[in-house]
Amino acid sequence: MNLEDKTSAEEADKTFSTEPVSSRKPASFFQERPPQEIEVAPQLLRRWTRRDLLLFGAGAVAAVAAGGALLPQATLKRLGIIHENKNWPRKEWLLNKSLRIDDDVAEALYSSNRLVPTYTRSQITSLRNNYNGATPDPSYIPEWRLTLDGLASGLSVYLNIRNLLASFQVHEQITRLVCVEGWSAIAGWAGLRFDDLLRAHPPMSQAKWVRLESSVNLGPWGNPDPYYVSLDLATAHHAQTLLATHLNGKPLTVEHGAPLRLVAPVKLGLKNIKAITRISYTNDEPADYWAKRGYSRYDGI
Amino acid sequence: MTYSSHLGEVVATRMPEDQSGVRVLRRHHLLVRCTHWLNVPILLGLILSGISIYWASPVYKHQPDPQTGNVDPLADVGIWVCAHVPGLHQYSSPADWIYNHISLGPGMLAVALRLHWVCAYLFMLNGLVFVTGMVMGGGWRSLLPRQTDLRDALKMFRYYLGVPLAIVTGRIWLPPRFNTKYNALQRVAYFSVPIAGLLSVFTGWAIHKPMQLYWLTWIFGGYDKARVWHFWLVWLFILFVVPHVMLVLADGWDTLRSMIVGWSTRTERSEGS
Repeated sequence: MNLEDKTSAEEADKTFSTEPVSSRKPASFFQERPPQEIEVAPQLLRRWTRRDLLLFGAGAVAAVAAGGALLPQATLKRLGIIHENKNWPRKEWLLNKSLRIDDDVAEALYSSNRLVPTYTRSQITSLRNNYNGATPDPSYIPEWRLTLDGLASGLSVYLNIRNLLASFQVHEQITRLVCVEGWSAIAGWAGLRFDDLLRAHPPMSQAKWVRLESSVNLGPWGNPDPYYVSLDLATAHHAQTLLATHLNGKPLTVEHGAPLRLVAPVKLGLKNIKAITRISYTNDEPADYWAKRGYSRYDGI
Repeated sequence: MTYSSHLGEVVATRMPEDQSGVRVLRRHHLLVRCTHWLNVPILLGLILSGISIYWASPVYKHQPDPQTGNVDPLADVGIWVCAHVPGLHQYSSPADWIYNHISLGPGMLAVALRLHWVCAYLFMLNGLVFVTGMVMGGGWRSLLPRQTDLRDALKMFRYYLGVPLAIVTGRIWLPPRFNTKYNALQRVAYFSVPIAGLLSVFTGWAIHKPMQLYWLTWIFGGYDKARVWHFWLVWLFILFVVPHVMLVLADGWDTLRSMIVGWSTRTERSEGS
């Protein structure tokens, strides 16, 4: 009687009753606890089940819809889900947003004091020329000169390779070049520090970015395909960011960007632009060849 | 002291129970359930985009094939399939067949990378919520390895192997008895998989930021080895998921439902059956 009264009082108090917790203390903090047993009215249990299964179903539909909206058109076409391009207008916005978040994380991780690992001569590996466009005719090399724009002086400066090698100290480093595709190579570079060039020819005070242009500017069929990259000024100041003239002790070949190329080991290989012809300092972020093709813009590694 | 004895006492004192009530066991915390299911689309996105990224520079390569010039063993599988499976002889790019079927497709590095970052950030966020749910619900204690786990896991494995034979011969084949939330084999699996997830995240960061996080890359043996780790961890997930799904379906509706609704009506297991 007494017990029944107690049960009904509990039922009235709340819709289910929880078993009393074991009075004995568990042997250790890590020991598995007894399962919690509860008593539920059948109607309530049915309501819970219905609610949770409906929510699960709604979640599954939402996941399929999100997957369909985010997957590339080509994949959906191949699967026979769509037959013509149906681009969801906010899709690019969402994917670009996530790319920006990742870029911001990379920028936050960057420290101008942190040097990248260096290697010994025996660890050097072969470095491939991953440029799939036509290699330019080396005839540009004798007349090559570097143009500097966006300087504090307001003037443009023209430098040839003799000026550069005569006025700046040459630094050597053996670092790893990491490609966005996933391969990497260890190479020995020699050249001047970008930071030294910045000191000798300071950019305008508000400048935050560098735009670098190249004479590697031909597509696979010899068609015009100019290559240019954006670089943040903080990376240009990094002690291991070189304007390299030599690879593994030899002057750069045309395939590797003669006569002057960027070596920024804190960036993906695609920022390490070859055969630089022009360096412009800008206030706003300049365009970038690969960012226009759906890759990230900061590319800090 | 097992809780089978403890529960026995409790049941005894409550013998004249209210007939209208249904006894259920709380099994999975709400956050654990949500993150468990969110892992399905997130991991699918990570794997599909990940294999597209792998395509751009395969880890495993052989000497170029004299006929096709191919260096990628995965592409060889596709070439073999197209040559031997009826109806596929006309397939336009046999070297791409495997990538067309287990990834977003070849030649989509930029798209694949963007999707990989979206899914990777969601995966890390999901992992944090999962850990929160594990702590709030106290479920983490059920996953911790025990000293007897190796022996019990082997027993359980032997039981699973014997099930098909028992069905064929009509023999009675009882599972090993246990009075914990999971059996030892489940515990090994459910404990290892979150750790594999954590390792995937760490190896991912090691190859994503090999310069700023060079110490992390160093832990995994350098950039190239970290890629290999990251690659094989994927197959560990796949190796887990296939038997996981099969066994849940074999175990019945109550087990599957408990990951959706959170409770199970199988109260008898804790009583030592």
